[in-house]
Amino acid sequence: MTNPEELRDEQLVELCRQGERHYFDVLVRRYMEKAFRIAFDFTRNTETAKDLSQDAFLRAFANIKQFDGRSSFYTWFYRIVVNLCLDHARRQQRVGWESLDRITEEPGEHRELADSTFAPDQQAIASEAKRRVDQTLETMPNKQRTAFLLRNHQGLSIADVAKVMKTTEGTVRVYLHRAVAALRQSLLELV
Amino acid sequence: MKNAMPLQSACKEFEEDLVLYYYGETSEDERRRVGQHLFGCLRCQGFLGDLQRLLPQMARTEELPQSFWDNYYRETVAKLAQQDERKHWWRSLIPQMKIWMVPALGTVAMTVLVIGLLFGKGNLSSFTLRPAEKIPHEILADENQLQFFESMDLLESLSKLQSLDEQKPEAVNTQSSRMRFQSGTV
Repeated sequence: MTNPEELRDEQLVELCRQGERHYFDVLVRRYMEKAFRIAFDFTRNTETAKDLSQDAFLRAFANIKQFDGRSSFYTWFYRIVVNLCLDHARRQQRVGWESLDRITEEPGEHRELADSTFAPDQQAIASEAKRRVDQTLETMPNKQRTAFLLRNHQGLSIADVAKVMKTTEGTVRVYLHRAVAALRQSLLELV
Repeated sequence: MKNAMPLQSACKEFEEDLVLYYYGETSEDERRRVGQHLFGCLRCQGFLGDLQRLLPQMARTEELPQSFWDNYYRETVAKLAQQDERKHWWRSLIPQMKIWMVPALGTVAMTVLVIGLLFGKGNLSSFTLRPAEKIPHEILADENQLQFFESMDLLESLSKLQSLDEQKPEAVNTQSSRMRFQSGTV
């Protein structure tokens, strides 16, 4: 018998559609890190990212029969993750923008910046740069942010980003350029 | 982002192409064209250098311990199992069901079905098109009563006719005496 880990996504999905639930666990193992990273890029919070990405798996499984196979499983699944993240962001916006003070009070979420090999002034500049990047990403239009995060952070091709966002590659190129321009602008003011 | 170096601006017409060039998302022709421009343009070289320096750092994420992923996987699989159980909650009733309950439930279901068919919507058309011989007794009784009242009317009419008849001979006598008077027989 074939090892489930060796099966392709489409084969695993087909088995799940036939009622073999445990094959979905293989898809969870395969995509949990990607799903979590996407959610973390959007939320910058470990617990929220965990909840949202797990919720995405639950929804994907509940709707597995609706997956028509016209796109690959991961673009379909990433779309679910992104939609949940955008919904969450919208809810958060209704509650109120997270204050800058609160962001700086949570150094745990930005640990990757606190690099002790650099001088304190360089660390301060790096920390400020990171804060500005996060703030710019947070205030950026959702479509630009999604295009940028999926291409830059997740390494999806523009063609795949277009599939996830259900738009054209040309539109994604424009979003990507605008996002990079906005991020660059936020850093220009720093130096 | 560790070194705060002044950012370079690119030639306007090449800015978008340089972003796509950095991501490797240009066609062969575009790549050649941008490459040729880069060869002689220090500003665009600086811009591309900034992208190469900044963008990978923005994507850098914290490494999480293996225990985090083990927990994550366990939790997700448990949640999936829970969701699956909720979806098929009725299956849990099957083992609790006693063997005698099967025919009992079947009988109840059949009774409900028969009652539904008799008094339900499906019976409406046959009810309205019911032949005359199947008219219920209550309605038939009403019909008899109607006939009774009709005959009562007739009886009343008969009594009226009778009273008219009683008046008639007088009228006939008056008329015959008038005729006799006119002929001079009286």
